[in-house]
Amino acid sequence: MTARRRRSAGSSITSRDPFEQWSQAVQIRREWLGHALSTEPADRPATEQAITTLYSLVHRPPPEFVWVDSPAAALPLVEASPSMRLGSPLSTESELANHWSGLRSRLRRHARIPQWSLMLDALALLRRGGPIRDVLTAGVRDVLNRTVRESIAGPVMAAMQERRALLWFGQHDVDWLANCDVLQRVDGVLWSAEDAEQLALWSTLARSCGWWWPREGRCVVAERPLAIRTEPVPGSQYDELRLHSDDSPAVVYADGWAVHMMHGFRVPAWVIGDPTAERIAAERNIEVRRCAIERLGWPAFIEQARLMLVSQADDPGNPEAVLQLYDLPYDTWGAPTRLLVAINGSVERDGTRRQYGLRVPPWFTDPIDAAAWTYGLTGPQYAQLQRRT
Amino acid sequence: MQLAELLDQTGLDVLDHLEREMTVPVIDGLQAQGDLIVIPFDLLGTVETSSYWQPVPPEGVELVRGIADNNPHTLVADREMCSWTTGVRDRTGLAVAVFDNRTPAYLIHPEHGGTGVAPGRWLVRRQQERGAGFRPRPVLIAD
Repeated sequence: MTARRRRSAGSSITSRDPFEQWSQAVQIRREWLGHALSTEPADRPATEQAITTLYSLVHRPPPEFVWVDSPAAALPLVEASPSMRLGSPLSTESELANHWSGLRSRLRRHARIPQWSLMLDALALLRRGGPIRDVLTAGVRDVLNRTVRESIAGPVMAAMQERRALLWFGQHDVDWLANCDVLQRVDGVLWSAEDAEQLALWSTLARSCGWWWPREGRCVVAERPLAIRTEPVPGSQYDELRLHSDDSPAVVYADGWAVHMMHGFRVPAWVIGDPTAERIAAERNIEVRRCAIERLGWPAFIEQARLMLVSQADDPGNPEAVLQLYDLPYDTWGAPTRLLVAINGSVERDGTRRQYGLRVPPWFTDPIDAAAWTYGLTGPQYAQLQRRT
Repeated sequence: MQLAELLDQTGLDVLDHLEREMTVPVIDGLQAQGDLIVIPFDLLGTVETSSYWQPVPPEGVELVRGIADNNPHTLVADREMCSWTTGVRDRTGLAVAVFDNRTPAYLIHPEHGGTGVAPGRWLVRRQQERGAGFRPRPVLIAD
């Protein structure tokens, strides 16, 4: 390794102030998140070139490339990997996996970062003056692991009928690649020339394509989705996202294969498309039911479900509004619960006041007592409410 | 005070369909704003506070944020007329803060507009509902 090559494998650090380094790292993380969320058509030449080079590293000739529109479309085209047996030659994909894990562990050892998630709050560690590598790894690799690998790739994988190992995730592999990029550009880590070249191949794939399945003589590659719809994770300080769309699929591919998610929960397509009280009653998963009711709306749900009204009373502090208490059928809802239906104190844009339901313990027969319970008060205390907005 | 004036003073904003040329009523008693309730401190005997109080500045403090980290409930008051603490021991687990004001204080929220709180000491609580499933522990409601 000559001095010149070593310099080209790294870059000079512009700042050693940890807070500066952190904000540079956040910028870089956002760039990589952009690749993970990209819905651009895959860069096929760059992808095929990178994968061909990877094949050559394990002494295989260039494979035939088969492009498909979605991960689900890849399944019929990909054989499950043969199990490894002592003494028999390894398959292409197993050798690739060895190369990949060897590269990753060399990079980790060189940068002195742990293999598993650090399980700590990056900003808190930064403020305490903790080791900058741990701060960066927690704030980049672990954050992207949660958002991209777990919250986006995870549900898409779960939605597929089966998992055909071995595969890699292209744009959804950004977590460790972003981390290596940050460590190099922000903390001056220098990889060996050989490792830097291999790292560049995997990084190119993360910027260029969707999931891919390398096999002997053939590689199946999925295009990126047409749309990925997300919402911010409440309370996160690190731009974390989860899949969510309440009127369309959260992830949809060109061949129409789609994954429906609400607030990070996978739901069947009917929850978004056509929720009915009947389907809700038949659904065993509580989170799915809750999403479906949110989508259907409380007024429609109460009417369709024909719930039994237990009692009704004027809503304290809320003129011309009533509180209603309904029975919820026991076997559909788990432990016995009643439903308190109330009307918002303030108006919506269209001038109406939104109706909503709250689950309350079943031992209340007076809606005032139930409403009071939701605030930790007694009925007589809550009846003194002067105004509700 | 009119809502428009209050918004100007604090730099906050509410959704555009809410009436701004209206006087914000100042309530001396139990009142609710969305999923937040303001309780006269003396109504309850079971709540204790810490001694760590802070002043509420004119631009306000955020008491609670909504589900996607937007739509906060903000408490605003005249300078040096109101102090608050989050060190509250409340067995219901619903307490957000206690505040003590000598002139009217206001709670502002993008969807619910503004409401005034008369001088006094007040406990702010969040709302809960019964959790789902077979062991239904209460869950806090996010607006």
